[in-house]
Amino acid sequence: MKWRNRVLGASLLLAAVGCVSGETQHERGEALYGYCEQCHGDAGQGNADFRTPAIAGLQDWYIEAQLQKFRIGARGDHPDDLDGLRMRPMSRTLATDGEVALVSAYVASLDPVDPPDTMVGGDPVAGRVLFNTCIECHGERAEGRRDKSAPSLLNQSDWYLVAQLHKFRSGIRGADTLDTTGIQMRPNALALENDQAVRDVVAYIETLDN
Amino acid sequence: MFELLDLKQGSSYAGDIDQLILMITIITGVWFLLTAGMFFWLLFRFRAKKDESGQYVTGDEPQLKRWVTWPHMLILLCDIAVIVMAVNVWYTVKQDLPEADATIRIIAQQWAWTFVHPGPDGELDTPDDIRTVDRLYLQEGITYHYKLSSVDVLHDFSVPIFRLKQDAVPGREITGWFKPTVQGEYGIQCAEMCGIGHGIMGARLILQSASDHEFWIQSNSPTPVAQVTGQ
Ligand code: HEC
Ligand code: HEC
Ligand SMILES: [Cu+2]
Repeated sequence: MKWRNRVLGASLLLAAVGCVSGETQHERGEALYGYCEQCHGDAGQGNADFRTPAIAGLQDWYIEAQLQKFRIGARGDHPDDLDGLRMRPMSRTLATDGEVALVSAYVASLDPVDPPDTMVGGDPVAGRVLFNTCIECHGERAEGRRDKSAPSLLNQSDWYLVAQLHKFRSGIRGADTLDTTGIQMRPNALALENDQAVRDVVAYIETLDN
Repeated sequence: MFELLDLKQGSSYAGDIDQLILMITIITGVWFLLTAGMFFWLLFRFRAKKDESGQYVTGDEPQLKRWVTWPHMLILLCDIAVIVMAVNVWYTVKQDLPEADATIRIIAQQWAWTFVHPGPDGELDTPDDIRTVDRLYLQEGITYHYKLSSVDVLHDFSVPIFRLKQDAVPGREITGWFKPTVQGEYGIQCAEMCGIGHGIMGARLILQSASDHEFWIQSNSPTPVAQVTGQ
C-alpha cells in the first residue's frame, strides 16, 4: 500500500506544480471573470434584466480604466446611480492592479456579441447628423479612439447607451473631479438637446453594428 | 466582561443589550454546568461494578420525579426573568422613540448605503441636504431618528458598535432611533442576505464632536449657506 500512497502524493504534487506554472495569463483572467459572469453573462454579452452592459470585445485600456474608476469612486459613486452602485463593489473584488489588468485583457479578448435592439422611437437619419460631433473622439464608425480615451460604442445595448448619455447629462457620470476622461465626454452629452436627440443618435450608432 | 473583549459600546442602549446578553449567558451557563456536571457525576457514580447488575428505573416514584419537576419549575422562572429583561430592552431600543435632535435618511440598495444628512438648516428633505454613499457622519451625544428604506430587496442596517440591527423592507419606511456616545470611525454592515454583493456591502460610520460635525456640514452642503438662510 505504501508505494501507492507515494505515487499518489507525487502525482498530486506534479499536478499542483503544473497548475501554478502552466496557468497562462489568459486563464487567470478567465478565472477572475467567473465572478463577473453572473451579471455580464458567460460571453460578456450583458443582460438587460440585470441592467448590465455588453463588455465583450471592448478595448482593454477602456475596461481597465473603467474598473479603476469604479474602484476609486470616480464612477458609480453617485447616490442616484443605482446600476453604477451595483458594479462598484464588484470592481473591488479585484484585489490588485494586476488582477484588474488580467480580467480586462480577458474581457477584451472575447468576441463581441451584438445585444438585441430594445429601444423604440429613435430616428437614425436625424441621429446621423448629431453623430458628426462624436466622430472626433469615437471615430467615424464609432470604433473608439485610444488617443481620445473614447471607447467603441459598437455592439452595445441601446438602452445602456441611452442610460449612459442621460447619466452624463445629469452629472451622475463624468462630473466627479477624479473622472478626467468622463469630464471630456460630459459636454457632448449635454449638447444633445433632449431625450429625443439621445434616442436618435443611439439609433444611428446601432446601425453601425455589423 | 465586554470591556475585556474590547467590544466598545457606542450608543446609549449598547450597554442594555450587552447586559441582557450577559445575563442570558450566565443563566443558561449555570444550568449548562449543573446538568452537564450532574450527567457526568451520574455516569461515574453508577459505573459498571463487579457483582452488581443494572436495573431498569421507570422514574415513576415521586422522589425520582422531583429531579425533573423541580429544575423544570426553576427553568420556567428563569425564562420569565429573561423575557421580562428582554422585553424591557426591546422596548427601549425598538418601541420607545425619544425626541429627536436630528433626523437622517438611510436608503439601502444592492449593494450600497446612501445616507441623507440634514444640511445647515437642520431639516431633512430640503435642498441643502447632504447625500453620501457608504459614509455616515453623525454627531456624538445627540439623539437621532433614522428613516430606513430599501429600493430593491431586503437589507439590514447593522451597526455593531450601537448594538443595532434593523431590517430594511422594500416599500416601507421604518423609523428608529439611536444616540451615539463615542467618537471615532466604525463599521456598518448589511445583515440580511441580499444577493451576490451582500458580503461586501459595508459602510463607514464617522462619529464626530459637535464642532467637527458642524464643520463637516458647512463644508459639504451642496448649496451655499447664504442661499439657504436667505441672506
Ligand atoms: C452584480 C452584477 C455585476 C457584476 C458581478 C459585475 N458587474 Fe460590471 N457592471 C454591472 C452593471 C450594472 C454595470 C453598469 C453600470 C452603469 O450603468 O454605469 C456594469 C458595468 C461594467 C463596466 C463598464 C462598461 C462600459 O461600457 O463602460 C465594466 C468594464 C464592467 N462592468 C466589468 C466588470 C467586471 C470585469 C466584472 C467582474 C470583476 C464585473 N463587471 C462584475 C454589474 C455587474
Ligand atoms: C471630446 C471627445 C468626445 C466626444 C466629442 C464624444 N465623446 Fe463620448 N466619450 C468620450 C470619452 C473620453 C468617453 C469615456 C468616458 C470615461 O472614461 O468614462 C466617452 C464615453 C461615451 C459613452 C459611454 C460608453 C460606455 O461604454 O459606457 C457614450 C455612450 C458616448 N461616449 C457617446 C457619445 C456620443 C453619442 C457622442 C456625440 C454626441 C460622444 N460620445 C462624443 C469622449 C467623447
Ligand atoms: Cu444588503
